[in-house]
Amino acid sequence: MALLEVRDLEVDFPLGRTTLQAIHGVSFDLDRGERLGIVGESGAGKSVAAFSILNLIAKPGRISGGNVVFDGNDLAHISTAEMQHIRGNRISMIFQDPMMTLNPVLTIGTQMVECLHAHMKISDADAKRIAIEKLREVKIPSPEERFDNYPHQLSGGMRQRVVIATALVTNPAIIIADEPTTALDVTIQAEILALMLDLCQNHGVALMLITHDLAVVSQVTQRIVVMYAGRVVEQGPTQDIIADARHPYTRGLIKALPQQNKPGARLNQIRGSMPTLDDIPKGCSFNPRCDFADVLCSEQEPVLRDLGTHKVACHHAESIVEQLGDGGGDE
Amino acid sequence: MNNKTGTPLLEVDQVYKSFQVGSEGWLGNKALLVHAINGVSITIYKGESFCLVGESGCGKSTLARTVMGLEQPTSGTISYEDQRIDHLEGEKRLPFRRKMQMIFQNPYASLNPRMTVNQTLEEPLRFHRPELNAKDLRDKVVEVMESVGNNPDWGERFPHEFSGGQRQRISIARALMVDPEFVVADEPISALDVSIQAQVLNVMMEAQEKHDLTYLFITHDLSVVEHFGSRVGVMYLGALCELADTRTLFSNPRHPYTQGLLAAIPRMDGSELSHTKMTGEVPTAMDLPPGCVFHTRCPLAKDKCKMEIPELRDVDGRQVACHFVEETA
Repeated sequence: MALLEVRDLEVDFPLGRTTLQAIHGVSFDLDRGERLGIVGESGAGKSVAAFSILNLIAKPGRISGGNVVFDGNDLAHISTAEMQHIRGNRISMIFQDPMMTLNPVLTIGTQMVECLHAHMKISDADAKRIAIEKLREVKIPSPEERFDNYPHQLSGGMRQRVVIATALVTNPAIIIADEPTTALDVTIQAEILALMLDLCQNHGVALMLITHDLAVVSQVTQRIVVMYAGRVVEQGPTQDIIADARHPYTRGLIKALPQQNKPGARLNQIRGSMPTLDDIPKGCSFNPRCDFADVLCSEQEPVLRDLGTHKVACHHAESIVEQLGDGGGDE
Repeated sequence: MNNKTGTPLLEVDQVYKSFQVGSEGWLGNKALLVHAINGVSITIYKGESFCLVGESGCGKSTLARTVMGLEQPTSGTISYEDQRIDHLEGEKRLPFRRKMQMIFQNPYASLNPRMTVNQTLEEPLRFHRPELNAKDLRDKVVEVMESVGNNPDWGERFPHEFSGGQRQRISIARALMVDPEFVVADEPISALDVSIQAQVLNVMMEAQEKHDLTYLFITHDLSVVEHFGSRVGVMYLGALCELADTRTLFSNPRHPYTQGLLAAIPRMDGSELSHTKMTGEVPTAMDLPPGCVFHTRCPLAKDKCKMEIPELRDVDGRQVACHFVEETA
């Protein structure tokens, strides 16, 4: 059994007379020590899906169906007290902007110790020792001195390291990282990604990396889940999907990257933009933007099907590959 | 896209820009300065897409704003078609404002939420070309809207009714309304989704062909530079490290900073995550390191780097500001 099993997750936001469904039957597994990427553009529902695992969706959002099974408990149906025991303890989160995550008026040491006290009975001295050890693990130079620093005294990359160290103090089984490097410069991003990869490989922490950046997921994760308009459109081993994506949306995303095009040539764009939740097209939600769409696509919603190495939700997954010959990102 | 053989359009010569952020000392008579740009010289030729890259705080946006006249350089000169423009004000600057337009990063902040698309697009034209009548204005709006792939029927709507990509295309249209020759784009696609970034870059490349534009493109995204730029300037802490043709730079970067920066781009070719050779943090622009500003993080730094500021010099068909560039080949 996988460490975390998300099954047919449904999340909706009741708004007056209408109800907007943000997540539509999303299922995936996360194994011990595995690195999973959740990829999609803004509005795809990737953050809502991850937040709902820890029941962090803002009201009036609610899980309206499905299960989130972690260690034998269904997180979708447990009490707040039970959830508080898991959240930040067994499953930690890292957010995009470290300056928003850290409290500006408390030293980083205070914040790390506070997190330890919230989850275990421990003396101040022991808590401090653990915090400094974690700061050293994330390669912060002279952690004893940094322990007494305020967030503003650290650079952006350092702050994100502190956030990661704080997420690690309770030795969680899973870290959910929501765009952890989007606010950082490329050289700092490379350092933080290397650090996260190292932590997963050497400490057996499972990572769920939520990002819009396909290049980042391709370097860090083993498997990816591609989301579009609240649904999973494709999932499978990372390198298989990057090299041989079957869903027209995934293919479009990969081919739109400047890296995948000849310098100076017109980029392969996907026309239109992601639909809003109150205006999801009938049938396949991608059909108005898809080059392969036909009558079937505008009437019937495709289900996620197993196609050997990966799963795809497209009526024409097989024929698309034939039509394009040997498809891949490197055309 | 021609490069060094073309006609110079914009020349930035030894520009320095510092901002006072406070004061210290007895009686507060010692100014605290942020040295945003430290002696940058660039020539941009007609018809090229010149890209400036660098990490946050390297002064690339300040340089763009200084070129546009939104900031005054502390010293140095900026010339457009051989005419000095950095000290021009008011009416004297007016003709250059028409020729030089700017596209900003955040299309949510750069469009006035209380103006319809038509009002936004007509305003610069009413100002710069008062002789046009209402019909001419409308025709021009329709023409420009169509050229950037926007539906001209959007005219009566407000910015909040559009997605980020549509808004950015509206701000590109606004810049193109007055038929500029030179467009400064400050991170125009950073706030957009991947599939939308491709749309906006395509619109910008088409506009360049159609209107014979010259771009100064500011970005931190190196893969966009590789695709879009004809020449690239790499900035670090307010100084230029390397200036080269895009292809030359990407195939064989020579400045240690450029090398580190290129190594840090996440790649999708299945390669392992590369560790950067750089160590430590970017120093603050309030207290610049002496000598080469990069020496505190440079793997090649020697004593000379701590004393002497390296000049940009010609090396292998590009310019590099490094004392020991021969060692980086």
